Amino acid sequence: MGIAEQVRSFIRESFFVEDFEEGASFLRTGIIDSMGMLQLVAFVEDTFGFDVADEDLVPANFDSLASLTAYVEQKRKRQTA
Amino acid sequence: MCGIAGFTFESAAAADERRTRFGPSLARMTAALRHRGPDAQRGLLLDGVALGHARLAIVDLAGGAQPMRDPETGMTVVFNGEIFNHRELREELAGRYRFRTRSDTEVLLASLVLRGEAALHTLNGQFAFAAWDPRTRALLLARDRAGICPLYFARTAGGLAFASEAKALFAGGQVAPALDFTALAQTLELWSPVEGRSAFAGVEALPPRTLARFQDGELTLRRYWDLDLSDARVEPGSAAHAEAEVEALLGDAVRLRLRADVPVAAYLSGGLDSSLLCAMARSEVGGGLRTYSLTFADRSYDERDAQGTMVGALGTRHRQSGVDQRAVAELLPRAVWHSEQLLVRAAPAPLLHLSGAVQAEGIKVVLTGEGADEVFWGYDLYKETAVRQFWARSPGSRLRPALLARLYPWLAGAPRSAALLADIFGPGIDSPTDLGFSHRIRWRAGARQLRLLAPELAASLAHEDPAEALLATLPPQVSGWRPLARAQYLEMQTFLAGYLLCAQGDRMLLANGVEGRFPFLDHRLIERAARLPDRLKLAGLCEKKLLRRVAQRWIPQAVAARQKFPYRAPAAAGLVGAGAAAWARELLSPEEIRRTGIFDPVQVQRLVKKLAESDCPTESDGSAVVAVATGQLLAQQFATAACPPEAAVEAVALEVA
Repeated sequence: MGIAEQVRSFIRESFFVEDFEEGASFLRTGIIDSMGMLQLVAFVEDTFGFDVADEDLVPANFDSLASLTAYVEQKRKRQTA
Repeated sequence: MCGIAGFTFESAAAADERRTRFGPSLARMTAALRHRGPDAQRGLLLDGVALGHARLAIVDLAGGAQPMRDPETGMTVVFNGEIFNHRELREELAGRYRFRTRSDTEVLLASLVLRGEAALHTLNGQFAFAAWDPRTRALLLARDRAGICPLYFARTAGGLAFASEAKALFAGGQVAPALDFTALAQTLELWSPVEGRSAFAGVEALPPRTLARFQDGELTLRRYWDLDLSDARVEPGSAAHAEAEVEALLGDAVRLRLRADVPVAAYLSGGLDSSLLCAMARSEVGGGLRTYSLTFADRSYDERDAQGTMVGALGTRHRQSGVDQRAVAELLPRAVWHSEQLLVRAAPAPLLHLSGAVQAEGIKVVLTGEGADEVFWGYDLYKETAVRQFWARSPGSRLRPALLARLYPWLAGAPRSAALLADIFGPGIDSPTDLGFSHRIRWRAGARQLRLLAPELAASLAHEDPAEALLATLPPQVSGWRPLARAQYLEMQTFLAGYLLCAQGDRMLLANGVEGRFPFLDHRLIERAARLPDRLKLAGLCEKKLLRRVAQRWIPQAVAARQKFPYRAPAAAGLVGAGAAAWARELLSPEEIRRTGIFDPVQVQRLVKKLAESDCPTESDGSAVVAVATGQLLAQQFATAACPPEAAVEAVALEVA
């Protein structure tokens, strides 16, 4: 399963939301609540094997499926490089 | 407190016909409220109306029987609650009315006979009553200002039926029970149905501070009092003067609420409000005050240390009742039966346990501290609103929303970014004058629970907007008030009246025949606090500033300085996983979820699985499982009209006059 599919499946199972747009803001559209963001960050760390630094915790990285997928891809690239 | 029930009917049927036609229904209604009034159940069939009363005898044990009729005019009342200033009113009326008992019921009756509807303004109390005037054939229904005593009504073929709890309307055959799904969605999002609604189709809740008049088939409702928090009412004055006034008023509110012909005890949570009440009550009654508290096996919800400090300082006869998550889950079915609502928190359930402990010791009355957080601004909601208003003045600021991390300690961890904080608390920040500004964030959290609904039901409710429905019930002047005043009005109408006093208050107390008395909701105190400048309630981020200063003279510093510790009762571990109660296992199974049709079996299964795998569920998941479980219980328990036990029905003494 690709990164986007893994994240989508986690969100579906954990936040009881069936379908959502790739670019939809998690927080502003209410897909995920504030405590849910903590779970999402933990999921990313556990699943993709890196620690999320404080400065990475910005909406540009975490606020939608598209932005999160891009962030994870970029982190992984940097890890393997 | 007591239970009341009744209904109007047409025709001037002969006495024995009235008994046969309407007696059995009235007896079942009254019997259905026996838990509220175990001391006596009586019914009276008059020409045109049936009135029933289940009595919890507290004042004038010998003479206070109801229904009570005025021999001159025939005016008849059934009354649930207390008129705390009954002695003063009796003195005022004594020259014009010949009293036959010492009861506050007769003071209410005399006030209505002599003053008509204007009598309501003179009452200091907590009440729900029905009064029948045979001269005009009008039925009056009224509830107290804050909404402490409940009252429901339904339009029927015979006119109007009413009862303290909806179950009596079902038992009497006045209404067939059916859930109101609009109310269900409102409860998920807002914690209670919007004012005026109940959880059931065809059953309306008489709003607090409202008088209903039913005459010639016409029903009219009017608010006889309202909370006035307008800026113009604020009195600048000195803080010391305001403090002395509030202290004196609160002391008097406590003193009036200790009036009873039976012992009055108190709930002691260990927080500021109940501790202050207990200290004031202790100084009125001297030694021997009994106090009761809950303790939780999970220490992060427990306040036993603060309770111990207070018991030591006051020397009360204290009793603790302990619960754990499994016990909370075991209590939920009875909590739903009594509260007659879907619950988004399990917190009412332990209070059922507590009132049971009070009843077991033969105590019928307790003082309790609800209302202080609304009236004196104790909740985080007020701070959150203040910070978000401050931020709204400069929406681009990254520093202003960071203040929110000081309110919610968990935010200080992660998400650690100010930008994420802005996304969480940002919705609505561009409309600071919005009537619902203070509550939008939590309504959004509630609305998130709607995704658990079955798709067909969700589709049928798609046009509903619970928040807008609520805002539409607010009087127009509220929109002109300052933000924290608007927040208080919303909080008192929704959280306090719709949930705290109702599902978590009256119902959990009266389930075990215990009356709660609420000094912080004395209307004189509510009105005085409404005239305080904001900074005496919320000073910076210090909540209940003025009350805290009063408390310092009454209770140990360690307790007076405590931060607000929200009362919560986790239940998830008793609802899912290895420790789940048997009823929860059954009602949360996919088959039962599908059969009931309210929730989506797939989503519920995901929720159950997630909770079973986690040791520390989030608040929103914990709330979701309580909502689903209690929604299932509500549907199951009210699928058909339950009949009270035959013996209870036969115990109702019926009289025809």
